Amino acid sequence: MTELIARSGESELTSPNAATSSQPGWVDPDSNAPLPLRGAVIRRAGFSVRLDGRSALVCAVLAAFTIAVGLWSISVGDFPIPISDVVATILGNPTEDSEFIVGTLRLPRVLVAIGVGAAFGMSGASFQSLVRNPLGSPDIIGFNYGAALGAVLMIVVWDGSALQVSLGAVLGGLAAAVAVYFLAWKRGVQAYRLVLVCIGAGFAVDAVIDYLITRAEITDVQRAAVWLTGSLNGRSWDEVRTVGGALAVRGPVAIVMQRRLDRLELGDDTAAALGIHVGRAKLALVVVGVGLAALGVAAAGPVAFVAFVSAPIARRLTSSPSACIVPAAFVGALVTVVADLAARRLLAPTELPVGIMTAAIGAPYLLWLLTRQARTGAL
Amino acid sequence: MSPQHEHEPPVALPSGNHVDHDNDPSNQTNPAETTTRLAAQGVRLAYDDHVVVEHLDLAVPDGQITVIVGPNACGKSTLLRSLARLLRPSVGRVVLDGEMIQSLPTKEVARRLGLLPQSPIAPEGILVVDLVARGRTPHQKLFQQWSAADERAVRAALAATDTIDLADRPVDELSGGQRQRVWSAMALAQQTELLLLDEPTTFLDITHQVDVLDLVHDLNHEQGRTIVVVLHDLNLACRYAHHIVMMRAGEIVASGVPSDVITAESVRDVFGLDCAVIDDPISGTPLVVPADKRRAARNSAEPQQADR
Repeated sequence: MTELIARSGESELTSPNAATSSQPGWVDPDSNAPLPLRGAVIRRAGFSVRLDGRSALVCAVLAAFTIAVGLWSISVGDFPIPISDVVATILGNPTEDSEFIVGTLRLPRVLVAIGVGAAFGMSGASFQSLVRNPLGSPDIIGFNYGAALGAVLMIVVWDGSALQVSLGAVLGGLAAAVAVYFLAWKRGVQAYRLVLVCIGAGFAVDAVIDYLITRAEITDVQRAAVWLTGSLNGRSWDEVRTVGGALAVRGPVAIVMQRRLDRLELGDDTAAALGIHVGRAKLALVVVGVGLAALGVAAAGPVAFVAFVSAPIARRLTSSPSACIVPAAFVGALVTVVADLAARRLLAPTELPVGIMTAAIGAPYLLWLLTRQARTGAL
Repeated sequence: MSPQHEHEPPVALPSGNHVDHDNDPSNQTNPAETTTRLAAQGVRLAYDDHVVVEHLDLAVPDGQITVIVGPNACGKSTLLRSLARLLRPSVGRVVLDGEMIQSLPTKEVARRLGLLPQSPIAPEGILVVDLVARGRTPHQKLFQQWSAADERAVRAALAATDTIDLADRPVDELSGGQRQRVWSAMALAQQTELLLLDEPTTFLDITHQVDVLDLVHDLNHEQGRTIVVVLHDLNLACRYAHHIVMMRAGEIVASGVPSDVITAESVRDVFGLDCAVIDDPISGTPLVVPADKRRAARNSAEPQQADR
């Protein structure tokens, strides 16, 4: 009897486990030393925000690189323009040559690259976190197959305008994403089911696209082929507006949803126990993620692997355990701008579609990830 | 039958020592007299078409430790999930503070009732303190992300679970026992008066099982929290429970104080296990000792511990 009383009496003073009170690392629970939380806390009356310094720094550095590469990308080409002229033109003092080349040709292209990259990055980050697997990104789960099919249908069958092609891509992508989730869903998404369903869906859609292409006019085929690889060639301010609008509307929603996404990563039951509306939060995230990816696809075609690689890179850079939606946007933008520059200049004067460059980066990563997941038993 | 007689008087249930507590088990045998904030009333629980629980009533006595026991797949966890409004009953209702739990805002429920599921997932690379901090979610808003109260609650939760030394370690690197304590800390940081724990001792060695349950006891005794635990170990269940609920195939077979509920007959009925139930030499609560079939066969002449 005495033993138990002594034990519970002691626990009032220190802790239920008597052994540790004497350990050197013991911290007084009432002390004012700050907890080793990640990031800084800004607190005023009734207002408090946690700010992750490392993520902010990573984003700033990525933004600086993106701007630098973007300016470089505008300045190089068959008709080189000095960086100083590029900056002057952007600031509103164009020289004679630079106005058309920078303002009409190259600046919108770079802006579309940045916007599309950011949209894919955010979309990938939210999907991967939602599925709790890097293979869950929209370009892997067949969103792109569907988008491509929708676009090719528009080009080949209905001879649609650029806007209609985009619309077709969005609808096709949505249909594919819904179909894949529906087929792979059984009390949650299992990675291996997802991969298998995607492989199957990919083959099926490829077959349909091939069929359409063989039946199509040669001019349509060319248009479709460029679109299918994902290209930033000849993008205008229209596409800038499309992507900019998507980011302005859905970006903030995605950022606000990040808190919920972080809780969902603990498991659905845990998230619900913490007061998250699991069904509602997931639906909102899917809608936002699909919306971002769809408008990205509409503007530049299904640029491969940007959504897939952005969030894992962002997580590594920030070493953050959360979904990293914002850093992923910056990574996506930088990756796309660099890939576009490489696509333009690597085999100059021949321009490659940007999708080939991103695939060259993304495909090896996919292979590595598959082998690693197979080895660790996650797949 | 009780081997402790020659040593010292049987030590009572841990909570039995605390006479100041209104729920001293010696006088709380009648659950009808106790108040209840959380109750399931005539619930049917089903996953898709598969009915797990039918016509079940359960009132969780306030300020007590309720332990639910039963064989695998008897619906213990399902019942717990429905009490935490994670599973909506297809018939009947779960009531929290006199209101249908489904009609209360999720966040409001999360401020009154916490749940630690069986297998929560720790995001890769997350630090202990950040994980525990997520327990504060229902108390936070978009622009109230980290108040002084949050800080105090997390510190107290880390201290209570003895994980404050681990605060800046990644959860991935911890042992199973440490990890379980960290998850408990997260649930504690939520500061709910009602706490539901789904098999918190699974995968833990005996020392850590006892540690976790001691923590449960302290939370109940020192902070007056109402706790519902699903457990597999009948002996530990008897030792720590004020109120024990025995389930079989989606039904509650018996409930009440452990000494009334856990008998050789009920264990054989519910678990299909021949056993003797003796007094726990330390706590005086029922102790289930499985019959030894091999030995019974060998010494069939000498009758082994009878079932009664």
